Amino acid sequence: MSAAKRVQQWATFARTWHVFDCKWQDPYESANIIKKYLMGLHKPIYHPLNDCGDVVVCINSRNIALRGDDWRQRAYFHHTGYPGGASWTLAWELHNKDPTLIIKKAVYRAMKGNLQRRHTMERLFIYPGEHIPAEVQQNVSNQIRQIRRVPERLDHIPEEEVKNFPKVMDYPENYILK
Amino acid sequence: MVTMVFLTVANLIRVRGPDEYWRKRRIFRLAAHYIGRRRNCYSVAVRNVHRALAYVTKARQLKKEDMKDLWNTRIAAACEQHNITQFQLKEGLDRANILLDRKSLSNLASWEPRTFESLAAVAKQKLELDGFVDNADKQYPTGIKLNLKDVMLEAWLKENKK
Repeated sequence: MSAAKRVQQWATFARTWHVFDCKWQDPYESANIIKKYLMGLHKPIYHPLNDCGDVVVCINSRNIALRGDDWRQRAYFHHTGYPGGASWTLAWELHNKDPTLIIKKAVYRAMKGNLQRRHTMERLFIYPGEHIPAEVQQNVSNQIRQIRRVPERLDHIPEEEVKNFPKVMDYPENYILK
Repeated sequence: MVTMVFLTVANLIRVRGPDEYWRKRRIFRLAAHYIGRRRNCYSVAVRNVHRALAYVTKARQLKKEDMKDLWNTRIAAACEQHNITQFQLKEGLDRANILLDRKSLSNLASWEPRTFESLAAVAKQKLELDGFVDNADKQYPTGIKLNLKDVMLEAWLKENKK
């Protein structure tokens, strides 16, 4: 194997570190995207027995957005194994206890249950805020595109910009809520 | 000594022939790589051999499906790199009369990525030439740009509603 071929081989099978910003993202939709990078499904050399998965670093997991009424409706089940050991935790309770767990469980469930799943999960790092440890950050070389645009809040836009925004007409005074 | 003679056809089916040794040997040959009683004891071996043969029959089709799934995954991954969907690639190549199957495409994607890139470019260009928009044969809308003041009375727009 020539030197150039050897380097090509390294480059092909090297792990890439991706960062994914969970801010205002649906964890269950994001899980399918994250899964793809974790398992290496985004590479044309993919094979189930081929260790070609990448590392994904999720940030801002505290600011995920659940669909509809899910914060109150969705329950996470746990059983201690003892009689009467079943417990149901609502999504908002779980999120208060550990803001990384919802996204972790979503990715775990998105993958097929086989022996590889737990090893693949080891390559997923989740951080509740924007801060990433330096030893992790130095490896990151790619950012995964978010599925949804983070909505901009009206009260976060500078007042001057709001005032200068072009509009078709002014509402009659009777139509404006006081 | 009285030998049994079967005269009806239904009974003849039950006669398995004199060469019991060779009949069993045929089964034992197929069970040679099993362990324990499954290879040494005929009545156990024959059950396992029959089951194995049934699996093999099913697996012939399953193998083809598995390979097709794998090729699809690989092509989808390669298509994503070039910002084209798998359906668009197939449609474009078909229209350009480039008749490559999944196996060839996935081989090209992993071993000759530049060739695959060119194919994706060809497919994209062909779809553009054919006016294949949003996965259907249609044209981009032409004509002048819609303007609000063309469809509404200008006087009404300028009117102060206070």
